[in-house]
Amino acid sequence: MTTRVEFLSRIRGEMAKTRGLFPARTAPRPADPRGVAEMLKRELAERWPAAVERFQREFERVGGVFYRVRALADVPQVVAGIAREREVRRLVAWDARELGGDLLAALEARGLDPVAMPPGEVPAEERTRLRRLVADAALGLTGVDLAIAETGTLVVRSGAGRPRSTSLLPPVHIAVFDRTALIESLGQAGVFLEAWQGEESSGTGAVVSFITGPSRTADIELTLTRGVHGPKEVHAVFVEAPIRG
Amino acid sequence: MSEADLSVPFNRRAASAMKDAHLQEALTIATTKFIGLRREAFGDFPEGERLRDLAREIKEATLQRLDGYLEQLIDNVERLGGRVHYAATAAEARGAVLDIARRTGARMAVKSKSMATEEIHLNEALEAAGVTAVETDLGEYIIQLAHERPSHIIAPAIHKTKGQVADLFAKELRRPVAADPEALTRIARGELREKFLHADLGITGANFAIADTGTVVLVSNEGNARMVTSLPRVHVAVMGVEKVVPSMTDLMVFLQILAKSATGQKLSVYTTLVRGPRRTGELEGPDEFHLVLLDNGRIRQLAGTLRESLYCLRCGACLNVCPVYRQIGGHAYGYTYPGPIGILLTAMLDGPSAVKDLAHASSLCGACVDACPVRIDIPRMLVELRRELDEKRLAPWTERLAYGLLARVLSNPRLYRWAKPVARLVQRPFARDGAIRSAPLLGEWTRTRDLPAVASVTFQERWKDLEREAQ
Repeated sequence: MTTRVEFLSRIRGEMAKTRGLFPARTAPRPADPRGVAEMLKRELAERWPAAVERFQREFERVGGVFYRVRALADVPQVVAGIAREREVRRLVAWDARELGGDLLAALEARGLDPVAMPPGEVPAEERTRLRRLVADAALGLTGVDLAIAETGTLVVRSGAGRPRSTSLLPPVHIAVFDRTALIESLGQAGVFLEAWQGEESSGTGAVVSFITGPSRTADIELTLTRGVHGPKEVHAVFVEAPIRG
Repeated sequence: MSEADLSVPFNRRAASAMKDAHLQEALTIATTKFIGLRREAFGDFPEGERLRDLAREIKEATLQRLDGYLEQLIDNVERLGGRVHYAATAAEARGAVLDIARRTGARMAVKSKSMATEEIHLNEALEAAGVTAVETDLGEYIIQLAHERPSHIIAPAIHKTKGQVADLFAKELRRPVAADPEALTRIARGELREKFLHADLGITGANFAIADTGTVVLVSNEGNARMVTSLPRVHVAVMGVEKVVPSMTDLMVFLQILAKSATGQKLSVYTTLVRGPRRTGELEGPDEFHLVLLDNGRIRQLAGTLRESLYCLRCGACLNVCPVYRQIGGHAYGYTYPGPIGILLTAMLDGPSAVKDLAHASSLCGACVDACPVRIDIPRMLVELRRELDEKRLAPWTERLAYGLLARVLSNPRLYRWAKPVARLVQRPFARDGAIRSAPLLGEWTRTRDLPAVASVTFQERWKDLEREAQ
């Protein structure tokens, strides 16, 4: 087996033989990504109505279903409607703190069978049990870290209380967000990704997922089919009043 | 046509692909559709051209400091609790994965689509070591059941009809299956879901890896890459060294053009950024994360004629527009990577002699350069390869003799003047209307095209006449 030193010195040896094809530089990075991200947030606080309209257009174009409600308290009704139409009850949700509010009681009152994910580390057997439970659930309810208007994309970070599987294993994914998550472009998303690097806390997970509509394939005769491995349906609920007050 | 047999010469493989009526139809439909979708995606995206230039520059800049970026990537992966393995050859890469499988007692591996693992023939090695390897991308799953190889970089099973897929599924599941894409997809979901939940090992490639953060980036539409990186207890990513990019900002440049070039989507459904093993508090994620860095002929090309092909994002756009690929499909090329870029990658991995015929399977029309998101000058490198191959004297002696004589005649004015009347005399029995349609010894040439005859009055002769008239 080749060692690190051997491997890298082979690369250096070959690099030394050439100056490359043309003078080139990498993409210019923001010097202070957190500062730029803050500034973007302030600017977007003015521009969000146009962004949310564009998000809706793009999200629907990729096969998502969009809803707009006044407050977080209106979300359970939307979720219950989706569940009723599909005649399902089992729902798994992010931990209340990660969602920005406790919706479990309200969901239960509307006939659903919701389970919230634990907010911190649990033993291995419990993780296996919970994973099975998520795999068997019909609905997964999550928050959103960024909603990108340009592409209709939901960005979610994994972590404690916000398992990766809640937006992956159930056939229906419902994501709840407000204007604070809305951004305009993939370029802006890059600023936030740069900014997140410096601010990892103990609950931060290992994965960031960009989700642009329901799972799809065109591998059989180029026929578009949804829900091959991930969710067959993705619903985005935009809450007008900021969720965290 | 199933698995290409390399003992059959390329022109015969190509000829049999062109006689396959079903393949011809599938190729036309697929490539035409992809071309249209790509054109539409960039039509709606005025920044596209500038971003393509920028992406090209980032690739070149990264190669100019490849050692530094790789070191940064390695340090970050290790800091996050991952392990990095260094594979100079395909055999070393297979060895690294097999060691991990053996040490962790893995019985089943689920894989998301990865050309790098195709390149090193990982599945066969896993099976031989008693580890069941399951391809989970629907197209890859289909061709795995059929014991074939991908015929297109991003649409591996475009050569299969829904009827053929239904037959494959029926045989695997031992029950009748309807030839309906929707139903077939549902069956695959059920079958593969169980595999995701029970597999020990998750194996992926990497579309990108970010030096600055130690992140491996996977792009997919089906969601299988998310499953493979989250559910099994061990994750192994195999990536060519050229896939490293410096920062998240650079990544965003590529994401803005990759899916548009591949499938015409603004963004693929899932872009998954993975940093090492499961963190405390997470419900899922592997206990172990391994990154296998693969050389396999790449490093030598940093200063080689094929350097520019190290920019390749594996989007498949050059396949769709290539007049040769559109006629013969992926299998006729005979190697892991088909199409125009595939010829260069094959030369990179297996050496120039592997492409002595393939290097000529291009009209050098340049459609691939226009389609390539990072504008790789494929024709330039194909010409270089042809020159290299000529220097190695791999062509048949008759061909070398013919071209050698021609070069002599064309580069020597006196010889050229003398040769004209001789040629006219020799060609007289065969030339009709300025073309030779068949002649002794020229069978290979005239079978598929005409040979232009030497003109009865050449341009030089006509020019002289004109000068005389003018005086």
